[in-house]
Amino acid sequence: MRRLSVTLLAGALLLGACHRVADSEPTPEGTTSPVTTARNDGRTLRIFMWSDYIDPAVVKTFEKSHGVKVVIDTFESNESMLAKLQGGGASYDLANPSNYVVQTMVRARLLQPVGKEELRNFGNLAAGFLNPNFDPGNVYTIPYQFAATGLAYNAGRYTPPVDSWALIFGPDDRVKFALLDDPREVIGAALKYLGYSVNTGRVEELREARNLLRRTVRKKGFESFAGGPEIRNKLLAAQIDLGQIYVGDLLQGAAEDDRLKVFLPREGTTISTDTLVLLRGSPNPGLARTFLNYVLNAEVSAAISNYTYYGNPNRAARPLLDPLLLTQRGAMPTDEDFRSGRVEFIDELPPGTTPRIYDRIWTDLKSR
Amino acid sequence: MTRRTHPLLSVWAWLTFSFLYLPILVLIAFSFNDSKFGATWAGFTTKWYGVLFAREDVRAALVNTLTVAALSTLVSTALGTLVGLGLWRYTLKHRTALTALLVLPIVIPDVVLGVMLLMFYALLRGALERFGWTYENGFWTVTLAHVTFQLSYVALTVRSRLAGYGRELEEAAHDLGASSTQAFWKVTFPLARPGILAGALLAFTLSLDDFVVTYLTSGSGFRTLPVLIYTAVRKGVTPDINALSTLLVLFTVGALVVSYLLVRPRPARPGPESR
Repeated sequence: MRRLSVTLLAGALLLGACHRVADSEPTPEGTTSPVTTARNDGRTLRIFMWSDYIDPAVVKTFEKSHGVKVVIDTFESNESMLAKLQGGGASYDLANPSNYVVQTMVRARLLQPVGKEELRNFGNLAAGFLNPNFDPGNVYTIPYQFAATGLAYNAGRYTPPVDSWALIFGPDDRVKFALLDDPREVIGAALKYLGYSVNTGRVEELREARNLLRRTVRKKGFESFAGGPEIRNKLLAAQIDLGQIYVGDLLQGAAEDDRLKVFLPREGTTISTDTLVLLRGSPNPGLARTFLNYVLNAEVSAAISNYTYYGNPNRAARPLLDPLLLTQRGAMPTDEDFRSGRVEFIDELPPGTTPRIYDRIWTDLKSR
Repeated sequence: MTRRTHPLLSVWAWLTFSFLYLPILVLIAFSFNDSKFGATWAGFTTKWYGVLFAREDVRAALVNTLTVAALSTLVSTALGTLVGLGLWRYTLKHRTALTALLVLPIVIPDVVLGVMLLMFYALLRGALERFGWTYENGFWTVTLAHVTFQLSYVALTVRSRLAGYGRELEEAAHDLGASSTQAFWKVTFPLARPGILAGALLAFTLSLDDFVVTYLTSGSGFRTLPVLIYTAVRKGVTPDINALSTLLVLFTVGALVVSYLLVRPRPARPGPESR
């Protein structure tokens, strides 16, 4: 699956390159957007998003109250979404990229401003999610749902004595644990434990993280690298004591088995947001903005989080959230967590850092 | 009759087969598991199949998958048969090059094929717009895309089915007074028929299973089952998706078995047919 994402990304890049050639003739409006325009019937809203990521009841209500139809297509990775949008074969109004591809989409001229001034409910958002690095001023994105990365355990099997990454990176050899199969998450956790930024470009800090991780994956307790749902299942089956996990993936399991718990380690952790963006070729930008405003409504936003169990960036929605989302330590980082830098968005790497450093560390770890 | 095989060899064979087929069996078993996350066995249930058929998006995707598969198979079988017959029957100047061209869609990575088609459709749309015609990617673009790779498989299956026979058979028919049309329908076509059917079934399963090309050429609002399944896995595979995959596996295996039965060499029978 990972390999497929990589090939699709390669395809997307190829397409990007070709389009630059094909589009060298300036079009009348001066846009070079490859996105095609569908018939603007004003009655169909097309959204391209992650699978199972919105409460169907919320969509139904919107359809009924506005007399429109909402078509939701799904993708399985940011890279494949990008490939399809850049290829120009599909006309969507809204898409649902994670924060780290937003800048790529802006540069590829795939987006148009969301027009936050027109969104009455924009003020509902929590401060930590406004004005992010990947989109200063929230010109192109509104935060939709977020995933903080925490440590999870099955209280029926093991209860961690401290709330720290030290459980994994410390000397204790007996705790059985699994890490996410994602270089930025794993290296980011090590960097946080060492007191550095997850977006660091400093070679010495990265080297320190690499040495720490080398020792970590050689520990007896290290079980595997795995995806979020897989780690949740390992915890449910009590195969491991601790697992690095996206909080949302864990909470879906916690809804079935209340022994599952999660916390954000005190040294801090990574966070990523899935955003909603308005595509440049949107056939119905007006209807799309109406939908954006609808999603920002406190009740609607809460209903979506109560369905997905992912983090909710909407301050007004907090009182309406499922207790699970509020009682688990760290499922909802506070504004203070953002201000102090305890939770950090995974950004594109700073210019000058070659992603190759990350690649080398990752290859090194996986080939241990 | 058969030589005794070394006992270790059969152990090895069993291991290999389990490695290949256990995951599929696990998938099928877990589609009957009464737990949402499938990490542990919580008892037998068939409720996920009910959940599955209650889903409107699944039903729509099923209809899409089958219509695309049926139509593209029909088209590619007709065209592929002609190509296969042509390659067999005529001595063409650039036969090797033509065959290579036919193999290309088979060896080329799916994603490259998908991206190429996507760009082709974008260019085509641009050209058509000048005449005031417009279309959206969807049913037709996906069907056409499937034909592009199915055609090769059909043509090659038909050709290899005929490879053992020479043109003498047709000539003999002519000698016995058959017209070209009669020779074709009475001799050539019956010989090719198992190849055509096998090719068609192969084409059908390929269409049924294709994700990458379909995903890239499907525009918005048009989904097939593989696209639905594949995009759902990020959230972890839920049992209704297991149930759906089970059905797709059974469909595919069924078609392949039929296709195998059709091309398998018949045991030689004594009689006028035997050479």
